[in-house]
Amino acid sequence: MVNGELLMIKSLKQWFSRNQKVTDNGHYRYGNEHLIELRKVVKIYEGAAGKFPALKGIDLQVDTGEFVAVIGKSGSGKSTLINMITGIDRPTSGEVLVGDTAVHTLNEGQIAEWRGRNVGVVFQFFQLLPTLTLLENVMLPMDFCNMYRMREREERAMHLLELVGLADHAHKLPTAVSGGQQQRAAIARAMANDPPIIVADEPTGNLDSATSESIFSLFEDLVRRGKTILMVTHDLDLARRASRTILLVDGEVVDQLTADEAHARLMAEEASHAH
Amino acid sequence: MRIRPRWKKVWRDLWLNKSRTLVVVLSIAVGVFAIGMIMTSYTILSGDLRTAYLATNPAHATIFTFDSFGEELVTAIERMPEVKEAEARRRVLLRAVTGPEDTRLLWAVALPDYDDIKIDKIRPLEGDWPPPEHEILVERSALGLLKAQVGDVLPVKLPDGKIRQMRIAGLVHDLNAAMFVFDGVSYGFIHTDTLEWLDQSRDFNELRFVVEGENPSRDYIQQVANKVRDKVERGGHSVYFTFVPEPGKHLFLDPILVSISVIMGAMGAMALVLSGFLVVNTVAALLAQQTRQIGMMKAVGARTRQVMELYLATVVLYGLLALLIAVPLGAVTAFYFSRFIAGLLNFDVTSYRLPPNVLATEILVGVLVPVVAALGPIFAGTRVTVREAISAYGLGKGRFGTSMIDRFLLVIQHSAALRRRLSRPLLLSLRNTFRRKLRLTLTLLTLVLGGAIFITVFSVRASMMGTLRSWLDYFQYDVAVQFERDYRVERILQETMKIPGIDTAEVWGFYNTRRERPDGSHSDNIMLFAPPPNTKLVKPTIIKGRWLLPEDEAAVVVNSIVLRDEPDLDVGQQIVLKIEGKERPFTIVGVATGGMPMGTIFANYPYFARVSHNVGRGQYVFATTKIHTLAFQSEIVRALEEHFEYIGMDVAATAKVEEEMGEVEALFQVVIVLLLLMAVLLAVIGGLGLMGTMSINVLERTREIGVMRAIGASNRAVRRVFIVEGIIIGVLSWLAGAVLAFPLSYYLSDVIGKQFLNAPLDHTFSLPGVVIWLAVVIVLSAVASFLPAWNASRLTVREVLAYE
Ligand SMILES: Nc1ncnc2c1ncn2[C@@H]1O[C@H](COP(=O)(O)OP(=O)(O)OP(=O)(O)O)[C@@H](O)[C@H]1O
Ligand SMILES: [Mg+2]
Repeated sequence: MVNGELLMIKSLKQWFSRNQKVTDNGHYRYGNEHLIELRKVVKIYEGAAGKFPALKGIDLQVDTGEFVAVIGKSGSGKSTLINMITGIDRPTSGEVLVGDTAVHTLNEGQIAEWRGRNVGVVFQFFQLLPTLTLLENVMLPMDFCNMYRMREREERAMHLLELVGLADHAHKLPTAVSGGQQQRAAIARAMANDPPIIVADEPTGNLDSATSESIFSLFEDLVRRGKTILMVTHDLDLARRASRTILLVDGEVVDQLTADEAHARLMAEEASHAH
Repeated sequence: MRIRPRWKKVWRDLWLNKSRTLVVVLSIAVGVFAIGMIMTSYTILSGDLRTAYLATNPAHATIFTFDSFGEELVTAIERMPEVKEAEARRRVLLRAVTGPEDTRLLWAVALPDYDDIKIDKIRPLEGDWPPPEHEILVERSALGLLKAQVGDVLPVKLPDGKIRQMRIAGLVHDLNAAMFVFDGVSYGFIHTDTLEWLDQSRDFNELRFVVEGENPSRDYIQQVANKVRDKVERGGHSVYFTFVPEPGKHLFLDPILVSISVIMGAMGAMALVLSGFLVVNTVAALLAQQTRQIGMMKAVGARTRQVMELYLATVVLYGLLALLIAVPLGAVTAFYFSRFIAGLLNFDVTSYRLPPNVLATEILVGVLVPVVAALGPIFAGTRVTVREAISAYGLGKGRFGTSMIDRFLLVIQHSAALRRRLSRPLLLSLRNTFRRKLRLTLTLLTLVLGGAIFITVFSVRASMMGTLRSWLDYFQYDVAVQFERDYRVERILQETMKIPGIDTAEVWGFYNTRRERPDGSHSDNIMLFAPPPNTKLVKPTIIKGRWLLPEDEAAVVVNSIVLRDEPDLDVGQQIVLKIEGKERPFTIVGVATGGMPMGTIFANYPYFARVSHNVGRGQYVFATTKIHTLAFQSEIVRALEEHFEYIGMDVAATAKVEEEMGEVEALFQVVIVLLLLMAVLLAVIGGLGLMGTMSINVLERTREIGVMRAIGASNRAVRRVFIVEGIIIGVLSWLAGAVLAFPLSYYLSDVIGKQFLNAPLDHTFSLPGVVIWLAVVIVLSAVASFLPAWNASRLTVREVLAYE
């Protein structure tokens, strides 16, 4: 029995490490040493009220296997920052290198396909297509990116749902399960194409603490299996358990801190604002 | 088989949004239905008409003579190398007594050999065959006119007033009789042996023939007809009329069918365009509603092209579903419709089928039109980026407060005076109406076009009636009598005026003539009217030159149609007319317009009587009556008939203006029914469009409805906001539609006039049409928005919260 479980974990590890290729000298194609590298990334929004700099020259490196928590006040640029990495948004200037890809140079279509294969995304709200079952939602990225053979897809999706503890609900529509279950299904979907990186924007934002906890441990599990995870969160207790915390203040990375230091800084800043 | 999840999404979206699917599918179906039904009907009608027509072995030309001729002439004509077959018949004009006070013209035709009819064959339907002696076989369309049944004995009045009792021995179908139905003239077949009993000669007065050769041209037939006519005239007979129809085409039915299909084709195309609008609307709304889903699909790796494919597939499915409804429905309706039209036109539809080219067109149209219509919204809607889809920014579309109309509405709202008068919910409805401007525009466009056509149909109807009136006004008589032969003018007038109720009377000359052109050819038939000098019964408008003076001798006034057909003529020039076999020169002194749309010439009666060797004698009397109703006219006609019979003057035919009006109206009625059918179809499309728009609005405003609920709006209040919004749209469309109907009805009156009457109609704009459409559109929009409004009022707070 124990042997069987070990075997399963081993095979999962093999799956999850498939996409990580590092060139022989330890460098990626664009000379980046880290899996994710942001170089002088600036993002300026042009709205009705004029120009607004949301990111002011961010330099950031994340290595394979790291679990990074991004924290900061509302409006500090957290979503903007991780959207750079997923290619959901483009920098006004600077470079975004993820593995062998210079994300900022790709066009919309290329980004979509690249993201589908290399980055799993999880949002706070509205994740699943309402007219597809959980299982079908999980199969969708494989379908769009033509990953795996048709027959394998369902099997694999089922497997991922098992992993997040939703095997029993596989054939239900999203509206028929709870918010936490939807979120777990979204995580399963984020892993559908076995991407090396998972990016989550406040995945526990509207969940109660017990459910948040289960989601978070799911992430910890994935990190253990070699995934690299970036997660935006407001929950400092959770952030503390990440391997690294990044604090954003007005579009700048204040420091690469330990979680406790970041915590303290955030508290201090909020206190000063209150006055 | 495994279905990819994305295709499952397509299918479930269709299935789970049944009401939206239904609206789109119906919208497409209406367009496809219109096209399919029209094409099928036309194919069936024209195909069957052609087959049936050719099966009668139609005459290429017919020559009518004043006097009678015998079998030798027919044989001689048939021996001409250009003539393949010739056959003669005798046509006798009688009056059937259809009631104690009523008679009806009856053409009794005697065919030489019923067992071997060679040309313009007729078909026995019921009863005896051939017609027994002293009995008649009636054309089936005439039965109603005669108010009689097979087996009844029909009293028939001979020209001298003698009554003969003829039994209706059976029914026949004569495809070529159709034109008489609309003339109100009944039509039947008798045996040659019956002629004597009717005081008629056994000889013929009508010669029909078919020329030699495959598919001869009309020009060639005309040449042969001229030769035949010359031969007939050389034989000492005077030809009254040579008639050469377009070969292979039914003289009367073919142009009607073409006109019908032109009108219906235009309407079908319109229906299709409008249903395209509806597709644009619903697909745009569908995409707007699924913005987040599109973003999410892109977030997990879908490229824009893949998303576009999904929505295109959705639209193709809509099209296929629409075909499922529209194709069978169109075929069945075409079946009934062809039968209805064929019945009106007195021919039989024998084949019911769905022509393969029609099916192909339907499929093409049903799939292609929606796809083309949806391309725009799909391009626009699937371009949304993941960031736009998930963020609150960039979704500012449809926000109220930016455009001119919005500011105008805000002004209304801030005006204290108006505020007191307009209720809050009404203001809300007003403002909601203008939130989605493109959608509103397309919805309005559909309704506006539907309304414009509706009003146009009424205007065309009014124009038709007006035109008819003005034609008949042009001749200001109430009743007319044609005698069997010429009588002295003074005697005719004297006897006519003896009838109380007659106001004035005039004896006119009538002649069917032709212009002999300088190059030896001749024109089409021209009607020559010879009214007495200072006539009061005709008032043409002179557009050039002058009207006839009493002292004018060889002078004529021609109408504009003569000038159109003979462009070398003008005022001051000579026109040579053939009268009683002689060529007579006349000088054109004026040009008139108005009246029937056919070549018409006016000459003074005294001069005409001289050249036609009929001085002091006449055959036609026209009279005005003191009261101009049909009842009074009928009474006068009966009195005239009785009186003339009593004094021994033989009446050949009588006419009452009101009755003639009614008969022409019947022909127009076919067109009007068709147009109304189309107007209804367009109104349905408009209603569907509004329903679609309103249900989209309800969906979009689910959250707002929740808010309205939360602040205490009752079910009724929620419903009212939406229904009032629908009615506002309806009334707006009515305004624009009425304006658009003006030029449209002008145009359509022209087209229809030219198709059916060879002349544009006098334009009348129908105000009743405008009012009726207002009522229709209010009911329509209330009904169309009721269902969506009902759905809105049924939303529970839970559903509102779950809404995404
Ligand atoms: N499309 C946009 N146009 C203009 N300004 C924008 C746009 N998107 C974001 N911003 C601004 O950029 C700043 C950073 O936004 P971002 O969404 O990254 O904040 P955040 O840290 O994720 O906040 P939250 O915790 O509330 O999600 C904010 O001040 C926001 O107002
Ligand atoms: Mg955010």
